[in-house]
Amino acid sequence: MVQINRKLCVGCATCIPYCPVEAFKKEAEERKVYVDEEVCTNCYVCIRNNVCPVGAIEESNLDNFMKQFQHVISDPTVTSEGTGVPGRGTEEAKTNDVTGRYGRGEFGICIDMGRPGIGCRLRDAEKVAMAVAQAGVVLEGPETTPLATLMTDIKTGKLVDEALDTNVLSVIIEGKCPKEKLPDVLMALRRVEKEIETTFCLGIVSRAEQEEASFFFETLEKLGIPKPFRGKVNVGLGRPLIP
Amino acid sequence: MTHSLHRFGSIESQRNDFVWFIYQSKGINDADFEEKARRAIAIAEKCGSENWGDIKIGCKLKCPANEIATNLSRQSRIRGVFTKREQVVEFLKEMKEADLGLSVIISGLLDEVLPSCEEAALTPHTINYSLGVWGKKDLLPEEDVLAITSMCGHHMIAANLVRKKMEEVKKGRKSAEKAAEELAVLCPCGIFNQVRAARILQEAAVKA
Repeated sequence: MVQINRKLCVGCATCIPYCPVEAFKKEAEERKVYVDEEVCTNCYVCIRNNVCPVGAIEESNLDNFMKQFQHVISDPTVTSEGTGVPGRGTEEAKTNDVTGRYGRGEFGICIDMGRPGIGCRLRDAEKVAMAVAQAGVVLEGPETTPLATLMTDIKTGKLVDEALDTNVLSVIIEGKCPKEKLPDVLMALRRVEKEIETTFCLGIVSRAEQEEASFFFETLEKLGIPKPFRGKVNVGLGRPLIP
Repeated sequence: MTHSLHRFGSIESQRNDFVWFIYQSKGINDADFEEKARRAIAIAEKCGSENWGDIKIGCKLKCPANEIATNLSRQSRIRGVFTKREQVVEFLKEMKEADLGLSVIISGLLDEVLPSCEEAALTPHTINYSLGVWGKKDLLPEEDVLAITSMCGHHMIAANLVRKKMEEVKKGRKSAEKAAEELAVLCPCGIFNQVRAARILQEAAVKA
């Protein structure tokens, strides 16, 4: 976690409102600020933006794999080693016109655990990953999405035990399913959303074709899920530049 | 990453809020990316992009635009915001004409973005649809705060800081525009829409 140099801290509390997860707290007696290590996600908002007027906030000692993972996944300026992509390490639909990750007759599932701005324990990410995997989602591997590096079995979504208590600002569960499995996946999410201690934002990726859109909207209507009004549209200008 | 997809606040306040992206795909079409990105940035600037940046360097409200453009690398991620639909249409037309071979993505209200593609004579390839927030929604902040924090999809802007800025605007200590820019610099991607944020801050100050 981020540390406060107690010799430098003057207790002005300027830093407190900057933390997205409210990890800065003030001591009752000495009136200095401390970092709640159970809450801090090592996102480094405070460090990158020099929010302390006397420079008392110091970088963490990222001396084990889980701390490094927490930092990489919570600080979007850091590039994920596994995927080579900064900003939490994934490209999903943004390059689908070039990569063809999501084809006709299938739907991509992007579950942003801990968003918007709540944060999450990886225990909850595991619950959701396992629920959608059981419902028919084929989860993305470590070459395309960082969470997969913690999975003991990509088919089930189970994470390594030592990861479960780690707190991150957000982490993405990514995968895809054949269209006939989409209703099961959405119903599984309806069930598991009641079992977690955080929030997630859900994105469903589809090829921009009438047949896929009709199926998607009919499925939502049958399940009583409101029709989406926001979308991220890949306008189809990308192409592979292979000679 | 879906950090531009899930924005909140009233539909009307989202109507003038579009995020644009230029994406290379590692090992496939990232050769000469830096030069192509500079051309894309020039087009976005010409079309009136209010904010843009590279996640590794910062947004143009924090770093001079020429400094960002000079220091681009093959790993850079270029994105920004438009505040008018006409800017989006013009941008798409010019990017089509430039034919850089990079993926171009626009996030926003579907009833604004899809007609914009049509006007630019583009056929969308893929859509990531937002199905909103699930789970413990009682943990979410109040709507006007969430409308602002969610404009940095990586959540580098804390709800408590937005509340502090709202208070400062309400008490007349600073303008809504100044407060919005102070929030915008915390979003390294450059997708924070400071024009929309200033409007929300101003409305909150009037309401209070």
